[in-house]
Amino acid sequence: MNILMLEDEPLILMDLEFAAEDEGCRALCASSVSEAMAILDSERIDSAILDVTLKDGETCVPVARALDERGIPYLLHSGDLDRHDETVRALGAELVAKPASAATVIARAIKYARDAHRQTANG
Amino acid sequence: MSHDNDVTSNVRPGWNAEQSHYNPGREARGVQAPEDQFFEASGVLFEQAMAQTRMAVCLCDPHQPDLPIVFANRAFRNLTGYEEHEVVGQNCRLLQGPETDQREVDKIRAALASEDVVVVELLNYRKDGSTFWNALHLGPIYRSDGQLAYFFGSQWDVSEVRAARAEERHARIMARELSHRIKNMFAVISGIVNITGRVRGIPGEAAEINGRIQALGRAYETTLDEASSGAIEIGPAIRAILAPYDADAERLKFLGNGLRVHFATVSVVGLVLHELAANATKFGAWSKDGGRVEVDWHETTGEDPGKLLVRWREYDGPHIPIPPEQRGTGSQIVDRMLRHGGGSMTRQWHHDGLEATIVIPA
Repeated sequence: MNILMLEDEPLILMDLEFAAEDEGCRALCASSVSEAMAILDSERIDSAILDVTLKDGETCVPVARALDERGIPYLLHSGDLDRHDETVRALGAELVAKPASAATVIARAIKYARDAHRQTANG
Repeated sequence: MSHDNDVTSNVRPGWNAEQSHYNPGREARGVQAPEDQFFEASGVLFEQAMAQTRMAVCLCDPHQPDLPIVFANRAFRNLTGYEEHEVVGQNCRLLQGPETDQREVDKIRAALASEDVVVVELLNYRKDGSTFWNALHLGPIYRSDGQLAYFFGSQWDVSEVRAARAEERHARIMARELSHRIKNMFAVISGIVNITGRVRGIPGEAAEINGRIQALGRAYETTLDEASSGAIEIGPAIRAILAPYDADAERLKFLGNGLRVHFATVSVVGLVLHELAANATKFGAWSKDGGRVEVDWHETTGEDPGKLLVRWREYDGPHIPIPPEQRGTGSQIVDRMLRHGGGSMTRQWHHDGLEATIVIPA
């Protein structure tokens, strides 16, 4: 299973990456919108974990839209619930509030990927 | 309110000798309501009030070209820095300047055209060029016969109000940014612990440390919104600490209500409840189906008043015939921490579960 991770804080990214590997997943890590888009264009992604606020004033919104277009499930991982309330609500994705254990976040991402696969198989 | 044409006196029309009030010098023509009627004494009283009020007021004459000011009270002169003779005959736009928002000026123009009452807030300029924020309230004044007589403008300097509003906005933005950074910091600390545990081959220990850090993170999070005062609501913090164990209402019940305690109490309460919850999961009520926990909190009274008392009671758990050795690392940490904070914890083993009573100076 391939999980795309967009996170601008290296330590959090690393923690998520380890947790994903523990579950036998392949972690595809990006710390900016352009990196995430490049991965989306070249890899098959099963689900994604997106940090909402990124460095240099970027947000995960362009990546979220691209995932929506491709029908790939994702969850938002953010400590900044208030500021992006509108953004987050507009995306309609589940939000996992920071700080949450990396294992919890990965477990949610895996569940999302499985649910999506099941839907595709049944549909 | 109409008061322009009912003031009768034998002073000739125009400004009187002291220039303290304006006499329109017309005869009263048909009074419609009691408040439209000014007898001589109340008329003089009104003029004195108008002249002396701290609210800046001016009247403008719509029957003369370019709507000139025909009356400006003392407060108006104090506020704007102009003398009487410098404003009378001028249009009110003399208070405007390069930074005045034209959209607000357009609202004034529209209100004048339709004889509406309007309140605008615009940047005005004094005679010396300094600026102030003017909450301008303007509207028409009609004569008793319904004819438009004047437009009144009342000016209120709201510069300080605006500054306070801006400060408050700034403080809110700062608080939100701080809250974001603190949450992020907890996430980073958690990452460091996990990664170190993995690299050193002690993931179990790292997970234990992380459990404690995250319980603290959840507790602190609830206090960030009211960081300006030293006291916080303990209820939301207790609920947040135990949120991961709160699978349904049967399993965990909160009995406490609103109670404000000192901010420093949060870390102690956070760690103590985390240890109790972890133990309940491993050995206590939550290790068994149907086991449940009640958490209550209130302020102590009686012999040792004014402290925070938290009562933790497990029900329908496995029977523990001999109370477990209380020298586990979790218990050691909790007991020592409580002692340092001037608090205490008493444990009582009932047949179906632990009852722990924690007292902490609030």
